[in-house]
Amino acid sequence: MTWRPTALNLSLLTVVGWALFLSVLTGRTELAVVAVPPVVALVAGRRAAPAPVWRIQRELSTTRVLEDERVTVTVTLRAEGPLALVELLEPLPPRVRLARGSNHAFFTLRAGREIRWTFDLRAAGRQHLRLGGLHLRRWGPLGLAAAETHERAPAVVAVYPRPAPIRYLPRPRRTQTSVGNYVSPAQGEGIEPGDIRPFAPGDQVRHVNWRATLKLGTLHVTQHHRERNADVVLLLDTLTEVGRDGDTVVDVAARGAATLAAAYLARKDRVGLIEYGGQPRWVRPGAGRSHLERVLDALLSASVVFTYVNRDLDLVPPRILPPQALVVALSPLLDRRFVRVATDLAARGFDLLVIAVSPIPAARAAARRSPVADVAARLWALERRVELDEYRRRGLTIVEWDGVGPLDAALAALGPRWRRRVLAG
Amino acid sequence: MMRLAAVALLLVLVALPLSVRPSAPPVAWLAAAALAVGGVGVIAWSVPLVTAAGSLALIAYALALVVAGPAADPPAAIALGATLVLLLALVHFAGRARGAALGPSVVAAQARQWLAVAGLGAVVAVVLIGAAAPLAGALRSAALPVVVTIAAVGALVTVAGVIALITGPGSRDPGA
Repeated sequence: MTWRPTALNLSLLTVVGWALFLSVLTGRTELAVVAVPPVVALVAGRRAAPAPVWRIQRELSTTRVLEDERVTVTVTLRAEGPLALVELLEPLPPRVRLARGSNHAFFTLRAGREIRWTFDLRAAGRQHLRLGGLHLRRWGPLGLAAAETHERAPAVVAVYPRPAPIRYLPRPRRTQTSVGNYVSPAQGEGIEPGDIRPFAPGDQVRHVNWRATLKLGTLHVTQHHRERNADVVLLLDTLTEVGRDGDTVVDVAARGAATLAAAYLARKDRVGLIEYGGQPRWVRPGAGRSHLERVLDALLSASVVFTYVNRDLDLVPPRILPPQALVVALSPLLDRRFVRVATDLAARGFDLLVIAVSPIPAARAAARRSPVADVAARLWALERRVELDEYRRRGLTIVEWDGVGPLDAALAALGPRWRRRVLAG
Repeated sequence: MMRLAAVALLLVLVALPLSVRPSAPPVAWLAAAALAVGGVGVIAWSVPLVTAAGSLALIAYALALVVAGPAADPPAAIALGATLVLLLALVHFAGRARGAALGPSVVAAQARQWLAVAGLGAVVAVVLIGAAAPLAGALRSAALPVVVTIAAVGALVTVAGVIALITGPGSRDPGA
């Protein structure tokens, strides 16, 4: 630890200089006397201090949070020897703000005393929140000298995109074989009543429909529809990115994908994820709460990777992209490669829905407001509308989402075809 | 609380020159300027502005002494010096601690430390004044230019010595 003089020395020296200069100039001894306390302070500031002995420990309340959730940082400082004045600072990474308390503190401790200091952080947007470590500054007497050190204790908090509540969920066209929440046209075990037919040997008595039996005079049973789940594959476009760091179209699309994944998994569906970009990655379709964490983990690291290599979805194995699956693509539709992939999937008979995340609000937020920018945004919006109409003519089902409002409101605009009855899987 | 204390010290700083010669317009103007600059410095917790205010107050004090020509008043001068030390230390600390969490005994410990240093300065000043009285008798017969030269050289050496003391080698942690 190296002690360095602070700016206060210069201030006191200025005062001393003025006092002595004016004393000599005017011949008044009082002015020389004025200089004595500052000189004594300057000399006292050089007083030897005991070696700093402390123990510092930092703890985080959690290492996994959703966007806008709080992380409590607790710092415990124990002084083995006396600490006249110590300053602690935990620098905050970008896109992280204080929710409670302060990341900067001053303490005075006697030997053997311990103090706990807590503050809450809130991360905006999905990210790996990295805390580098505490900066400590020890102040000498009167703040005339300071010595700094850095306690390197890196910590990472995973901030996942927050799934929003959703009511209008696009229904898949085909179901799978496992039990789920979709009423299948196929007859079998279930609670949804279907057709009525005459009793046959092997039918259970509890399925007898007594009203029909009494009316028709012979035993009749009620058949039931099976309840099945579906496979849903979320196709995330990471070819292009528009907007401010932390609020790009990829961030918005990731938030939408998290919302859809949570909603489908809550309905017992199997959800997979394909990140289609410079470096394609995927998560195999699966079900359950632990699978949601796998999907969120993948969404957390989804980012644009530039490459000249043009990959197709053909390299994705069928177990990742099952032919019966509902494919929900989230994309700003800015890159022709993604449009080609979506058109190809639709042409191959995949049940495909494209959620077109508008890049215009993200671009507007990143640019300075001006009348020219307003006109440009309006022109862009018109051009985009023409483009989307062209894609619709090619057979794509596209729902527009501005990324600012809830995804639920955008999906509510879907026609009744997407609230359809499902076909047997 | 710290801002109130800083304002009180600033008022003391401005009042001392006025107490010597309140009616002299240049003194009042300088004191008003010191108050304005110091006020802004206290609001912004700016050490350079408060230093400027302290310098203006010193000039006002010197002007008041020249205009009024009163008998020597060491207690007022000691009070002015101690006030300057306290005000600068307080503004420096408050500027550093702005927006930070303060431990339970930080302000009290700092106040004790500042008062101790200011008190030590006052004691040293009294001792020096006491030691200067017999020296004044010895110098009474000396020629004035010699005395002025010695005083100027002494002032220069004091400032240079303090600068060397602060910035020179050996600034390693004394306790490490």
